[in-house]
Amino acid sequence: MAETSVVDQLDSLVSLERGEIDRRIFSDQEIFNLEMKHIFGRAWLFLCHESQIPKRGDFFEAPMGTDNVLVVRQKDGGIKAFLNTCSHRGNAVCRAEEGNVRNFMCTYHGWTFGLDGELVGVPGSSLFYKDKLDRSKYPLRKVAQLESYRGFVFATFDETAPPLPEYLGATGRLGLDLLAERGDMEVIPGIQKFTVKTNWKFTVDNVFDYYHPQITHMSAFALGLIPAPPDNYMEGGAKSETGANLEVPFLPTDLHNVVMVGEYGHAISGPDQDALEVSTGVEPFAWRHNDETQARLGRHGSRVAGHPHIFPTTWVTAGGQLSLRVPREPGVTEIWWFSFRDKNASPEENAALLSSHIHFFGPAGLLEQEDGENWAQSTLQTKGLRSREVPQLLKMGLGTSEVVKDDGLAIIDAPINEHAQLWTYHSWREWLRNPTWEELRERTVPHDRF
Amino acid sequence: MTTETAQQAQLTAVLLQHEVEQFYYHEAALLDAHRYEDWVLLFTEDTHYFMPLRRTVTRRQLHLEFTKPGEMAFFDEDKNYLEIRARKFATGTSWAEDPPSRTRHLITNVHIAEKSGDELQVHSNFLLYRTRLKNDVDQWVGRREDTLRFTEAGLAIAKRHIFLDQTVLQSANLSSFF
Repeated sequence: MAETSVVDQLDSLVSLERGEIDRRIFSDQEIFNLEMKHIFGRAWLFLCHESQIPKRGDFFEAPMGTDNVLVVRQKDGGIKAFLNTCSHRGNAVCRAEEGNVRNFMCTYHGWTFGLDGELVGVPGSSLFYKDKLDRSKYPLRKVAQLESYRGFVFATFDETAPPLPEYLGATGRLGLDLLAERGDMEVIPGIQKFTVKTNWKFTVDNVFDYYHPQITHMSAFALGLIPAPPDNYMEGGAKSETGANLEVPFLPTDLHNVVMVGEYGHAISGPDQDALEVSTGVEPFAWRHNDETQARLGRHGSRVAGHPHIFPTTWVTAGGQLSLRVPREPGVTEIWWFSFRDKNASPEENAALLSSHIHFFGPAGLLEQEDGENWAQSTLQTKGLRSREVPQLLKMGLGTSEVVKDDGLAIIDAPINEHAQLWTYHSWREWLRNPTWEELRERTVPHDRF
Repeated sequence: MTTETAQQAQLTAVLLQHEVEQFYYHEAALLDAHRYEDWVLLFTEDTHYFMPLRRTVTRRQLHLEFTKPGEMAFFDEDKNYLEIRARKFATGTSWAEDPPSRTRHLITNVHIAEKSGDELQVHSNFLLYRTRLKNDVDQWVGRREDTLRFTEAGLAIAKRHIFLDQTVLQSANLSSFF
C-alpha cells in the first residue's frame, strides 16, 4: 500500500477532544511547504518596529515565510516593504541586514531602485535596450498590504486579508498594547538572531508553556533569578537520576493563570498579575499600576501577566521584548529578539531593563540557554519511524475549563493548562485548509469549553 | 652597549609575551576542564565581560557593525554575573550543559598592543570548538580585546570584549565562556 501523505490526513492531525497532535507535523516537508503557502503566504506578519527605521532611507530586512523583504522609511515619512529580489535576474538588491541608503543597486547588472522600490536606473538603457524597456513595469515587488499598529509594522502578501486591527482582534491588540503601554517605546539597537534545529511550532508552543520553567529552568530558580517560595515543592515527583526527589518548586502562580484565545489563532496564556506579584514579592508591572493604564488595558487586560502570541510567530514577553520565530526549514528555526526601552525612562531604569533583556532570554540568557536543546531533541524524535507515531500530548486541564466571553475576549481562568497550545494547533490546522478569510474567522471562533 | 640594551628589551618583550600566552593557555585549560568557578577567579572585581551583537552592514556603514555597551549584546557581565553563570553550571540542573559539552579553546595571534602602568592591552584570536551529545557540533571563531592587569595574585582580566565572526548565530545557545 502506498504511503498516505500527511496532508491527506489534516482532520486527524489535531484532536481538540483528545488533546493530541500528530508528531509528523513537526518534520514533514510537505506540511512545511503548505504552511509557507497558506499561513505565511497570507497572514499579517510582524516585520519590525517603526523606531528601528526613523530616518528617510533607513531599512531593515525582515523575513516573510521563505521570502525576505526590505522595510524602508520613505521620503514622505511613510513605510514601504518589498521583496529583496531584483526584477531583472533575481539577485538580492541589498545584502546588509539593516542600514541607511539613498537607493538599492543590484550588484549584478546595476539596476537601481528608489526607496519606493521604483526602477530608476538601468545601465545602457538607450544603447542596449533601445529605450524600449518600460521602467514603470519593473519595480521591486511590493507586499500586498502594510500597516502599523502602535508602531509595530506588519505586512501580508494577501491583498484580500482583513485590515490589521481586525486581523489582530481584541486578543492580538491586547498583546501589543501590553508592550506599547509601557511608555514611549523604542527598539534598543541590536536584534539578537540565533538558529535552533527545531520546527517553528515547538518554539511557539513553548511560549504558552508555564509547566516547563520549574524543570527546564530549574537552575535559574536555584540561583534565585526566578523567585520561588522556599520549601514548597510540587507533588507528583520528579526524581533525579540517582532517585532523589528533585524538589521542583511550586509557585502560587501555578494555580492562577489567565488564558485568552482569539480568532485566527492568537492567544495569551500565563499567570495573572496579582498572583505573580504576591508570590514573587516584586512588582515587575509597576509601569501599569496607575488608573489610566489600567483603564486602557481594560479590566481583563490589566490582569494579564503571561505571554501574548500573535499567530503565527510573534511573541510579546512580560519584560518588554518581542520575539519572532522564523521558520527556515522543517527542522531549522531562527529566533529573533527585539528588545524595547522607554525613551523617557531614566538611565538607571534603562540599564536595569537592558540587563534583564540580556540575562533572561537570547542564546546566552540564563533561562533560554536551556530551551533550544529541548526543542531540538523533540524535533529529532519526530523523525523516528516508530517515535513519530507516538502522539504529542496536550491534555492538561482538558475538558475542565469554561470560557467566559466579554469585551471581545474569550477568557479562561484556571490553573496551569495547555489550552493556548491546543488552540494554536487547532487554528493552524484550519489555516492549512486554505479557507476564505470569512471561513477562517468562523472556524477559529473560540469554543465555549476547553 | 647599544646592542646589549636592544637585546635586553627584546628579551623582556619575549618573556612578557610568554607570560601572557601561558596565562591564556592556563585559562583555556580551566574552561575545557569545566572548572568555571576557578576560571572566574581570573577576573578583577571591576571587570567587564562583553560580547556585542554583530550585524552584516555595508563597508560604508562598518562603524555600525557591532553594538556598543548600553545597547543589546549576547554577554554584558560584571564579576557578579560571571559568578552567577559559573554557579549555574554547578547546580546540577543546568541541562544545557548536562551532559557537559566537550569544548576546546584554541587561542592564537596573541598580540600585546599596549603596555601602560600595570595594564596590558592584549588582542587575540580564538576558535572555540564545542561538541555535545552524540553529534552536535558548534564552532565559534572570533577576536578578543582584553585588558590584563598585574595584580598580587598574578595576571587578571580587567576587561574582555569578544567579537564573534558570525552575525546570525549558528548555534542554539551560548552556554560556553569565551
